[in-house]
Amino acid sequence: MKRFMRWIATMAIIAAVAAVFVPGTAGAAKNKTTKLSGTITVSAAASLTEAFTKMGTDFQKANPGTTVTFNLAASSALVTQIQGGAPADVFASADGANMVKLVNGGQVTAEPTVFAMNELVIVTKPRNPLKIKSLADLAKVNVLSLCADTVPCGKYAQQAFTQAGVTIDPAKVTKGVDVKSTLAAVTTGDADAAVVYASDAKSAGTTVTAVKIPAWLNIYAIYPIAPLASSTNADLADAWVKYTVSPAGQKTLQSFGFLPPPGQ
Amino acid sequence: MLLALVAVVFFTLPLLGLLGEVEWGSLWDNLTSQQAKDAIRLSVECSLWSTAISVCFGVPLAYVLARVPFPGKALVRALVVLPMVLPPVVGGVALLYAFGRTNGLVGGWIYDTFDWQFTFSKSGVVLAETFVAMPFLVITVEAGLRTMDRRYEDAAATLGASRLTVFRRVTVPLIAPSLFAGAALAWARALGEFGATITFAGNIQGRTQTTPLAVYLYLESQPQVAIALSLLLLAVSITVLVLLRDRWFGNVRSA
Repeated sequence: MKRFMRWIATMAIIAAVAAVFVPGTAGAAKNKTTKLSGTITVSAAASLTEAFTKMGTDFQKANPGTTVTFNLAASSALVTQIQGGAPADVFASADGANMVKLVNGGQVTAEPTVFAMNELVIVTKPRNPLKIKSLADLAKVNVLSLCADTVPCGKYAQQAFTQAGVTIDPAKVTKGVDVKSTLAAVTTGDADAAVVYASDAKSAGTTVTAVKIPAWLNIYAIYPIAPLASSTNADLADAWVKYTVSPAGQKTLQSFGFLPPPGQ
Repeated sequence: MLLALVAVVFFTLPLLGLLGEVEWGSLWDNLTSQQAKDAIRLSVECSLWSTAISVCFGVPLAYVLARVPFPGKALVRALVVLPMVLPPVVGGVALLYAFGRTNGLVGGWIYDTFDWQFTFSKSGVVLAETFVAMPFLVITVEAGLRTMDRRYEDAAATLGASRLTVFRRVTVPLIAPSLFAGAALAWARALGEFGATITFAGNIQGRTQTTPLAVYLYLESQPQVAIALSLLLLAVSITVLVLLRDRWFGNVRSA
């Protein structure tokens, strides 16, 4: 009996120690009640620029004492940066392929969550002077702006052209380093048209005219998000990931032209 | 002394880093890949055009700045030097609002009148490169004109040579070292142009995708092509420096 009591006591001590030192068990549960603070850097796909900036402001207002900064670039460029050791706490990609690179590299601490979707759209100069109606019509423009082949929006656009059986002369294609520069070639530059995301077309407002691609010919971008192993503020990183799928986050994303994640 | 050493290490490490990444065995294959060949051909063509244009317009400008007194000269010189300190991408945006077809001050008129479009064309690359490169030529030639001995020109003039003959037969040979140095610097700057080119002329393989643009674009998809092209640009830069060392510093000593 005495021996049994001693065993109980030992186990209790082990459990207590474990609760304090092993993250992700009792310790993590305790942290949930602590107030969020500090700073995180969210490396996010360029297409998320406007939506995430707004969500960052809202999040900081709801959680005083926190700062969310963004590193916005092509998802592929962000992966290269993160693999190269760039400090980041959360990665939000515009495709699965770039997220997979980090998952396989062990740089992600949780299963990625899909928080948004996007569809491709054609944008032209205001009032569509070339009367572009379809992907096939893009073969006749002088300069078409597409994302570079490595960038998610470039891959999606290639898939859309392949699917529609449309061939574009490469000598007419200017390649943007991310979706925003691809869009800028039409808004400020002289490109006749571009293939970008519906959300980009929405944020461009009246500087472009959007031409819808029918759903059966469209390519749908999925946006996974995950906290990163390099994070120094895992709680805040988790909170940001949760915020993107929360009703408030979803409302903002959809107001910027994003689609809800599948199954919602 | 130690701080100086830190500075030297700071300049040396990136070079070593680049050299360490080069796959020497496949270097030739990488440099002769279609993307690399397109980029190199375009870079050589456009940078030579831009150097030629810089000489055509830059030498007269340097002459005026060095010799002809006129009000507002300081302002003109500041305008000429501005592209040297201006972030090139800002230069590209500014060019877009001047020579762009849809949003440019004169671009639309040029397009309507001459059916000529700078953006997304080789001429746009040349324009962007000239914008950032010409100041180097103007400044170097102007310095050459200021430091040369004008008595030779006066002597030629008293012997009955016309102003054009004096310029051609006396002035130009005397400033030849600065002219060469200025042209080499302008060429190297044009060859390395990135920001203004991608902003103004776009990024079309074989048409406006110069070597620096190719380096940036292929760094993710084909890093070895990007590294091989970087090495090529590095080699060109070093060659220019070595050539300038003789001509330029030689000129400084004799002057």
